[in-house]
Amino acid sequence: MGELFRQYWIPALLAEELPENDCPPVRVKLLSERMVAFRDSEGRYGLVDEFCAHRGASLWFGRNEGSGLRCPYHGWKYDVTGQCVEVPSEADNSSFCQNVQLTSYPLVKIGDVLWTYMGDAATQPPLPEFEWIHVPAEQTYTSKRWQQCNWLQAFEGGIDSSHVTFLHSGGLKTDPLFRGAKGNEYNMNDTKPFFEVADSDGGLFVGARRNAEEGKYYWRITPYVMPAFTMVPPRGDHPVHGHFWVPIDDENCWTYSFDYHPVRALTETERQAMIDGHGVHSKNIPGTYRPVANMDNDYLIDREAQKRGETYSGVAGIAMQDASLQESMGPIVDRTKERLVPADSGIIKARQKLRKAAVALRDEGVTPPGVDPEHHRVRSAAVVLPQAESFLDSCRDAVKVTPGVPQTTV
Amino acid sequence: MHVSESARAASAAESRFRIDVPIAPARAARVVALDERAASVARRLAERPWAHARFYTGGAADGLLHELDGTATPLEEALTGSDVVVVLATEDGGRATAAAIGRICGRRGITTAGVVLGDGFEADDAIAALRPYARVLLLSADESDTLELLTALRV
Repeated sequence: MGELFRQYWIPALLAEELPENDCPPVRVKLLSERMVAFRDSEGRYGLVDEFCAHRGASLWFGRNEGSGLRCPYHGWKYDVTGQCVEVPSEADNSSFCQNVQLTSYPLVKIGDVLWTYMGDAATQPPLPEFEWIHVPAEQTYTSKRWQQCNWLQAFEGGIDSSHVTFLHSGGLKTDPLFRGAKGNEYNMNDTKPFFEVADSDGGLFVGARRNAEEGKYYWRITPYVMPAFTMVPPRGDHPVHGHFWVPIDDENCWTYSFDYHPVRALTETERQAMIDGHGVHSKNIPGTYRPVANMDNDYLIDREAQKRGETYSGVAGIAMQDASLQESMGPIVDRTKERLVPADSGIIKARQKLRKAAVALRDEGVTPPGVDPEHHRVRSAAVVLPQAESFLDSCRDAVKVTPGVPQTTV
Repeated sequence: MHVSESARAASAAESRFRIDVPIAPARAARVVALDERAASVARRLAERPWAHARFYTGGAADGLLHELDGTATPLEEALTGSDVVVVLATEDGGRATAAAIGRICGRRGITTAGVVLGDGFEADDAIAALRPYARVLLLSADESDTLELLTALRV
């Protein structure tokens, strides 16, 4: 599965983590590799092996200066490609350092995110084209949080529409980034949705349908783009949100959560709500990307709020409601003990697609779905349709990115 | 040393203490192929070792399902004791049977899942036939999707 992830551009860190030239380097661990990211004197981004080639000291202690990162131990210096450019102990004009290169990966800023590609340079795909990173800056916001479990059990929550009616029922009524939409009423009035799962070029579309007015269904359409990108169907004119899960190692992942509006700037109120951890975002411990509510404090569970009906599980916030339960499964959930039901068909199908893609890549070198940037140009949608209509036929345009056209929403 | 009950409980070390008992297959499934192409998929799937799954072909609006050895069984009887019915279709020839299954399942509280094999206009017809009755519908599916679904449901 690690090799599969190495076919894609994936989020490495937020651009805000390297806010200016020559700022302090940042430790980054992805796909079980430890690296440091830095932004040099010319604004170039680098993602290189964390440890100095000389004696293995961490370059997190490095001095970021003069277009390179210098190990403070003996002064070896590296550029953003990991190429060693100075070994002070060697004679002037020595060619020694030319033969010293740290493993490095490209690091590119698109939107609020620094993206990396950790695969074979010969098969590096074009840059990602998800809509959320390409709209103007005032229309988008991205946060991230550390999640203490395997990425797959976290990701599976993103295509599991049936939990929303229960776990997040409080949020539909009160969260400033959810409340007030007509679609919420359909959600709350019909707690037993029907599901349809269909292949897409890049992954899947999962349609959840609930009863609406006589003769009509309310459809919520969730796209999944392989390997780990999902979007939540919109509610009213609220910004549209979604997630990208990135493995740190087998037992930890980063959850990148975004909100954007395709055609208007986010309001100050909306942006502040996101910063404050509403909607799909979390309130993090200042200076870190660890949520304030985390396993060390039992997620600040409030049984009284649960009794009052403010939250369903006693944990506040959509993001931590999900994370608390996903982490409670253990670092890697034992799936041999699961009892899946037909409503889990999206999860069943996504697992199958991931496994098939990994095997096809390993055995035949087949490029997996979701690598082609064309596959990124999808949207989620919410729509009311006559009962006879197919959600995919009726929403073919709604689930494609059309710049300047608002999302399809209820 | 963990600083909270949740942190300790979510650790890899504590995961080892989850009660380890075999999961008894609980689903009494009926797999019904509504047309000939779907029936050939059902026949291949039926060769695998399943716990309680029973496989049928149907499609004719005579109120009968046929076990794979040809034995005819009234629909109502075939569904007795079932708690999930998985319907396979490649076109809409089995619309009447799908409707009959849907009505019985609705009445008895049996969960229904539809698997539409293949794509194109014939599959579109099959989708339209199954949509009103299937709690879950897998579209543009193939034989492996059906296998994955049945395996995951532990039938």
